[in-house]
Amino acid sequence: MLLEVKNIDVYYGMVQVLWGISFNVEKGELVTIVGSNGAGKTRTLLTIAGMKKPRSGRIIFNGKEINGLQPHQVAKKGISLVPEGRRLFPNLTVKENLLMGAYIKKAREKRDETLKEVFELFPRLEERKNQVARTLSGGEAQMLAIARGLMSRPLLLMLDEPSLGLAPKLVSEVFRSIEKLKKVGTTILLVEQNVAKGLEIADRGYVLENGRIVLQGEGKELLVNEKVRKAYLAI
Amino acid sequence: MFVSLNLLLQNIANGLLIGCVYALVAMGLALQFGVMNVINFAHGEFVMLAMYITFFLSFSLGIPGELTLLFTFPIYFVFGYVVYKLVIDKVIDAPAVSQIGITIGLLILLQNLALAAWKAEPKAVQSTFLTGKINLGSVVVPVSRLVTAVVSVVVLFLLNWVLNKTYFGVSVRATSDDMRAAALMGVNVRRMYAVVFGLGCSIIAIAAAFIMTFQQVNPLAGLTWGLLSWVIVAMGGLGGVTGVLASGLILGVAEGLEITFWDPRASTAIIYLIFILVLWFKPKGLFGRR
Ligand SMILES: Nc1ncnc2c1ncn2[C@@H]1O[C@H](COP(=O)(O)OP(=O)(O)OP(=O)(O)O)[C@@H](O)[C@H]1O
Ligand SMILES: [Mg+2]
Repeated sequence: MLLEVKNIDVYYGMVQVLWGISFNVEKGELVTIVGSNGAGKTRTLLTIAGMKKPRSGRIIFNGKEINGLQPHQVAKKGISLVPEGRRLFPNLTVKENLLMGAYIKKAREKRDETLKEVFELFPRLEERKNQVARTLSGGEAQMLAIARGLMSRPLLLMLDEPSLGLAPKLVSEVFRSIEKLKKVGTTILLVEQNVAKGLEIADRGYVLENGRIVLQGEGKELLVNEKVRKAYLAI
Repeated sequence: MFVSLNLLLQNIANGLLIGCVYALVAMGLALQFGVMNVINFAHGEFVMLAMYITFFLSFSLGIPGELTLLFTFPIYFVFGYVVYKLVIDKVIDAPAVSQIGITIGLLILLQNLALAAWKAEPKAVQSTFLTGKINLGSVVVPVSRLVTAVVSVVVLFLLNWVLNKTYFGVSVRATSDDMRAAALMGVNVRRMYAVVFGLGCSIIAIAAAFIMTFQQVNPLAGLTWGLLSWVIVAMGGLGGVTGVLASGLILGVAEGLEITFWDPRASTAIIYLIFILVLWFKPKGLFGRR
């Protein structure tokens, strides 16, 4: 098991926002967590990334406890978070943003090689490599955010709603890129409000509701699940 | 009022030369403020202390003031690093009032220490290689001031190069843009802050070593340097190195004009006046970004 989250409770100040969350991701898998606004998806990923501390529970990555580590230490372990809202470095160029993605030592050595691979995956970024990130279109910015996340050659890539705020055509493009990444062996933990698309490409999925995991199963299985169809697919 | 053209040219030349070192001193602050958004009211006192250390080393080692840089540059890096860890780090996420309060405390502390250690009468370095004058037509330029200005500009552009062309520079700018995103990339943000704070202080040390070749230092000298630096940061600090240099030159020349047409003792008032004017008409600075 690459990532094991065991029974974590997370609070926002006095308010509990995650309740005994447990899930896991195996090497090479694409796991999707779906849920509506405020379900706690972002909070879950931030907790794994070390941005928030769980009050109890364990997070085990690659056989080691990572609960309690600082974000930069988690990054070193091989986890890459493509955060909600992308969080690009607005005044840096596309290329500089990508180079920052390869900040950890292990990635720095293979920086030029990885850059080449990433440009093959997202040719548009190569065309724009000297453009300042804040001037990118929404779709390009999302591509850059994912590409930057790949630059560290992560063992686990976590994507927080990569389709948010994009036009339908671009949404499909983003999901196609994610599938491509999966094909080349990247392990992915995807968080999505777009339940249909998120589960369609997933090996396995979890449904998060009000800070609790209420359903889990194979992606295709969940897609035809009665409850999921009623609550999220409006069928 | 009758003013000779000579005097005017001389004062403008003086202003341009001193403006370069104003910019260098302010660059230390601009770097720190730009990257970690911390409000440091003790910046001027850091300059004052560096000037004293220059005096002290020059005196006790018997070396020219400008050569003390070999020691003060690394000493001041460590000084900045430690001050960050002991003081600034504790208020880095705190509201502005706490940062102002704690750094004003630092200001008073350093002033008092300087007063206790070196008494109130001004100190000057006894030896420097930078003696003599150069005549440019009717304008007379002391070598010490000329070299100081040249060094200041060179250091500013060196820093510019580091920030724009090296990987360290990219990571500094990235942290400045979005420290949380930088942390996700693996940047140890707190350590980066300490390093940048140290670097800002090293820049002060360079400036101080050269300022002492033509100026004296007293325990209150920091106040003007602090004010100057904040005015420059407000005017051009976020426009990068060129913004800072231009702002430094503007202040230097403004002072020169003030001295020409009015009373030299009011030159600090002019700096303050410019500060007010900038806040009124260009609250985002003359070379704004952000
Ligand atoms: N700044 C905040 N103050 C108070 N509560 C917050 C804050 N940020 C998040 N929360 C609460 O934490 C819970 C989980 O939020 P989270 O951002 O993880 O949801 P999400 O599933 O990512 O939602 P979305 O799809 O809208 O991004 C929500 O109930 C939210 O109201
Ligand atoms: Mg979210």
